[in-house]
Amino acid sequence: MDISYNWLRDLVETDLTADEVAAELTRVGLAVEGIHAHGCDLVFDIDLTSNRPDCLSHLGVAREIAVNQDLEIATGSSDAVADAAPNLVSIVHPELCYRFTARIIRNVKIGPSPQWLVDRLEAIGERSINNVADITNYVMHELGQPMHSFDLDKLTDNRIVVRRAKAGETIQTLDDVERKLDESMLVICDAEKPAAIGGIMGGLDSSITESTVNVLLEVAYFDRANIRSTSRKLNLATEASYRFERGVDIENLIRASNRAAKLTQELAGGTLGEFINVYPTKSTPKTVESPDISAAVQRLTGLTIETNECVRILSALGIMPVDRSQIPNLRSQIFVSPSWRHDIAIEEDLVEEIARHAGYENIAAELPPVFGAGEYQPNEPREKRLRRVLADMGFDEALSYSFIDTRHDEIFETVPNLVDSDLTEQFITLQDAVIDGAVRMRPSILPGLLDAVRLNLNHQRRDIKLFELGKVFAAAAGEDSPPKEQKLLAIALIGGEIRQNKAISERDLDFYDAKGSIEAALAAVSVDNVSFIPAVVRHLRQGQAARIQVDGRDVGSVGRLNDDLATTYKFRQSIFVAEIDLQTVLSIEQAPLAYRPLSIYPGIVRDISFVVGRNVSFDDIRDSVAEMNFALCRSTTYVDIYEGKGLAEGERSLTIRLEYRSDERTLVEQEVEDVHSQIVVGVGKKLGISYRV
Amino acid sequence: MSEERNSVEAIKVAFETEFAKFSGIDLEAASLNEAELLLHEISELKILHTGKKSPIAGAMKLIGRIPPEERGSFGQFVQVVERGIVEAIGAVENGLRSRISLLKIELESLDVTIPGRRPRTGHLHPITILRQKIEDIFVSMGYAIEDDREIETDYYNFDALNIPEGHPARESQDTFYTTEGFALRSQTSTVQIRAMERRGVPLRILAPGRVFRRDTPDMTHTPMFHQLEGLCVDKGITMAHLKGTVTEWLKRMYGPDTVTRFRPSYFPFTEPSAEFDFSCFKCAGSGVFQGERCRPCKGSGWIELGGSGMVHPNVLRACGVDPTIYSGFAFGFGLERMTALMYSIDDIRHMFENDVRFLEQFS
Repeated sequence: MDISYNWLRDLVETDLTADEVAAELTRVGLAVEGIHAHGCDLVFDIDLTSNRPDCLSHLGVAREIAVNQDLEIATGSSDAVADAAPNLVSIVHPELCYRFTARIIRNVKIGPSPQWLVDRLEAIGERSINNVADITNYVMHELGQPMHSFDLDKLTDNRIVVRRAKAGETIQTLDDVERKLDESMLVICDAEKPAAIGGIMGGLDSSITESTVNVLLEVAYFDRANIRSTSRKLNLATEASYRFERGVDIENLIRASNRAAKLTQELAGGTLGEFINVYPTKSTPKTVESPDISAAVQRLTGLTIETNECVRILSALGIMPVDRSQIPNLRSQIFVSPSWRHDIAIEEDLVEEIARHAGYENIAAELPPVFGAGEYQPNEPREKRLRRVLADMGFDEALSYSFIDTRHDEIFETVPNLVDSDLTEQFITLQDAVIDGAVRMRPSILPGLLDAVRLNLNHQRRDIKLFELGKVFAAAAGEDSPPKEQKLLAIALIGGEIRQNKAISERDLDFYDAKGSIEAALAAVSVDNVSFIPAVVRHLRQGQAARIQVDGRDVGSVGRLNDDLATTYKFRQSIFVAEIDLQTVLSIEQAPLAYRPLSIYPGIVRDISFVVGRNVSFDDIRDSVAEMNFALCRSTTYVDIYEGKGLAEGERSLTIRLEYRSDERTLVEQEVEDVHSQIVVGVGKKLGISYRV
Repeated sequence: MSEERNSVEAIKVAFETEFAKFSGIDLEAASLNEAELLLHEISELKILHTGKKSPIAGAMKLIGRIPPEERGSFGQFVQVVERGIVEAIGAVENGLRSRISLLKIELESLDVTIPGRRPRTGHLHPITILRQKIEDIFVSMGYAIEDDREIETDYYNFDALNIPEGHPARESQDTFYTTEGFALRSQTSTVQIRAMERRGVPLRILAPGRVFRRDTPDMTHTPMFHQLEGLCVDKGITMAHLKGTVTEWLKRMYGPDTVTRFRPSYFPFTEPSAEFDFSCFKCAGSGVFQGERCRPCKGSGWIELGGSGMVHPNVLRACGVDPTIYSGFAFGFGLERMTALMYSIDDIRHMFENDVRFLEQFS
C-alpha cells in the first residue's frame, strides 16, 4: 500500500524525516518496503498485515506515527451538518447493512480535478477520473472509508432501498459486466431496481457521468462476512470490498461524508442538500479485561513497563481504560477498543500493542532454561544412513511433487498393502490442480522419478541414478478416515556404471545393480533378511522383475521397466526401478546382533557347476543345500552364471561355492569329499539338474 | 703339466670365443627386448661355463695328474681362469639386469594426474542437507524432531490454529482440498497441535516437513515446499526466549557475528507476533559485497527469514494447555527460501526438477 509523506503530514505535524517515518513505521509493524519520490512528495510502500485494515488509510498510518511523538491527529468534523430526510433511505436488511448515510449535493459541475488532487492520487498510484469520482477515492485513502456517488436523477423516485437481491435480479456494474445476483447478496436499490452491489461496486446506469448535475453520496457500513462471501461469489474484489470485508470504522461515516461533501462544494461547486444517517445496527464497543497489564507484558515479552506507560501507549492508540477511579488500588483494568480496531479482543492483543510501541528491539535475547534431552525422529538415524549409503553408491537425491497425473494409476503397481482394492475410490484426488492434470496424490514415487530421469536425459545426461524418500497416499477404508500416508523409498537407474571424473562409463547397468542397491540400502538400515522372488509386476518387464520380501513380508518390487512404459518415456536404454515400503521395513523388529566365535580351524571350499534351465534358480539350489542340513557345510555362495558355447539353448551353467568347516578339528580331504558328493548328488536329484564335471 | 695348462687355456679360449658377442656390448643402447634376449643368452652361457658340470670345474679334476710341487700354482691358475669367467658373466648379467629394470621403470611409469579410480558419489538434496543441519542444532538444544500427517483435517490445519471459518488465511485459493474434503497441510503448524496433544507440556519440538499451497509454479513459488517450525512451551517462556533461541540457532548456522532483528507482524496463531530477520551472511549486514549491492539481502543488510511469536492462548487451549500457567513461543520459515538465499538460486522451481546438474552442486 502506498502512503504519501506530504499527505501524512497534513494529518499529523511530525518533525520526522521520511526516512525516520519509514524506520518508525517498520519498527511498530507497518513494514516499509521502500520509499520512492513522486514530484516533490515521497511515497512509502507499506506491507500491511491483514489484521490492520485500520491502517489502510493515511489517517490510520498517522495514528501509528503519533503514538510515540505525542501528536494530535487533524481530524475533520463528525457533526451532522444538514437536516435529516427520513424518507430518503430505508434499510430492509439491517443485519447486512449496519449503518447508511446519504447526502444530496445539487448543481455540481463534473469536470477535471485540480492539479493538487491529481498529484495526490497519482502519488499513491491512483488515476484521476473526474472531480466527483476523485473526491470519493481521495477521502477513502485519507480516512479509510469507501463511499459511492450516484447520479441522483437516475435513481427512480430519488430514493434508496437497501435490501437483499431478489433471485434472478441482475445488475450491469461499472466495469460493464452483467452480474447475476442471488438472495444472499446485498444491493443498494432505487425504488425499483439495484443501483449498486453494496460495498463492492456501483451500477453503470446510476453512475456519475459528465452530464450529472445532482449527486447522492453514500457512506455506509456493511457486514464483513457478507461482503466477503458476495465478493467471492461474484469473483469481484475492489478497493471498497477489500476494506469493508476487513472492517472499516463505523463511527467514521459522518466525518468521511462531511469531508467529501466539503471537497465537492469546493471543487465541483455544488450546494449541500439533505442528509440522512440511518443506524439500525449498533454494536457495543468491545472491551478487554486485563488483571494487570504491566505483569502481562512482563510475562509474555520479558519487558518491564510501568502500568502508566502501558496505559499511555494504549490510550494513544485509542484503546482507552474505563475509569476505575472508584477502586483506585486495583491494578485490574477494562480497556475499550476503538471503533476502528477489529483486532483487539484479549489481553495478549494489548500486550502486542504495548510491546511493538515500546519496541521489540528492547526485548532481551536469552535461551530458555535447560530442559530434557533432544531427540531425532525414531527412524531418522536409519534414514540418514540409508541416504548416505545410496549417495555413496552414486545416487542423487530427488524430491518430486506429491501430486501427479491420474494417467499413472493403472500403469504403476503400488507397494503391497497400500491400496485397498475393495474400495471404489482407491486413490486420493485433489479438487483441482495448479500443475496441469496433477490432481492425484501420488500412490507411487516412480512417476516423479521417471520424469526426472527424462529431464536429465534431455540435458544430455546418459548415466543417471536417482533415489527419493517420501510419502505416498491412498484411500483408507471407513467413513471419514483420513487417507493413508506411507513413507517409501524409490530408486531409478539408467545407463552405465560411472566413475568420478571419467567421461565414459565402465559398463552398462543391469538388474543386479538395481537389486544390489536395494540390498545395500537395506543393509544400511540393518535389514538383512531380504529375499527376491520372481514375480509379475505391472510396470516391470517379465523375467526381470522381483518382489522384495523382508522377513517373509512383501514390501516392494525391483526390476526393469517394461518396454511399453520405456517407449512412453522415450527411454532408449534399459531402465531399472525399485520401490519399497520403507515405513514397514523400518518397523520390522530386527534381532539383536549376536557374536559368533572365530573358528580356529581352516575351512575348505569346493566349487560346483550345475546345468540349469530357466525354471531353477540360485535360491532353489541354495535352499536345497540348506535343507540337507550337513553340519560341516557352512555356506553356499554364488560364483557365476554362464550360458552359450558348450550348453544347449535355454541352459545355463550356474557355479556355486560350498564352504566346509568344523569347529572341533581340521577336516581331512576325504570327509569333505564325502559330504560334498552327497550334496551335489542330492541337489541334482531334488531339482532334477545335472552338474558339470 | 703343460698339457694340463694347455687344456685349461683351451677352456678359457673357448669361453672367450663364446663370450665375445657380450664383451663389446653397449648396454645404454639396448632396448628392453634386446636386453632380455641377451640376459637369456648370458644365463645359458653361465650354465655352460660355471657350476659343477662346466669345463672349468672339470679342469680342477686334472690336479691329480700334476706333480705335488706344482699343484699349488696350477690350482691358482685354474681359479684365476674360473674367476675370470664368473666375473665376466656376472658383470654382463648385472649390467643387463639394471638396464632391464631401468627400462621397466620407465615403461611402467604412470601419469599420476589421471583421475583416481573412484566410484561417482551421489548427492543429497539441498533441502535434506539444510534440514539435517538445522535438526542437529536444535537437537543439541534439547528439541525433539517431529513430523506428522501431510493430509489433514480442517481442524488441525485451521481451527486449532486459531484460524476460524471466514478467516482470509482459510480461503480455499490458498489450500488444496481432496475430493473427500481433507486439506493438504498448508503449514507445519499442524504438527504443533498434534505434538502437544501427544506429548503434553512442557515440550520443545522442531517440525520440518512438506507443505502445500495453491500457487502456480514461478520463480519464487512452488505449490509444494518445505517448512520448518519450532515450538517451545513451558512455564515462564517469554519473547526474550524466542529471540535468544532464534539468535543462537542463526549464530550456529552463520557464525558468531550474526545478529537478528524482530519486527511486529501478524499471524493468527501467535500473539504477539514477530517476523525475524538476520544480518546477511554474505555482506555481514553491510548491504555491500565486493563493492556491489549485495544480492541475497538486496542491499538491505538483512535477510527476512520467517515468522514467529508467542503461541496464541486459543491454540494452547485447543491442545488442553492452560494459558494462564503455560506460555510458549513458535517460529517457522521455508527451507526452499533459505536454500535459495544461501546459494543465490534465482528460480526456486529447480528444487523439484531433480536436474542432476543442480543436485550435484550440493554436498
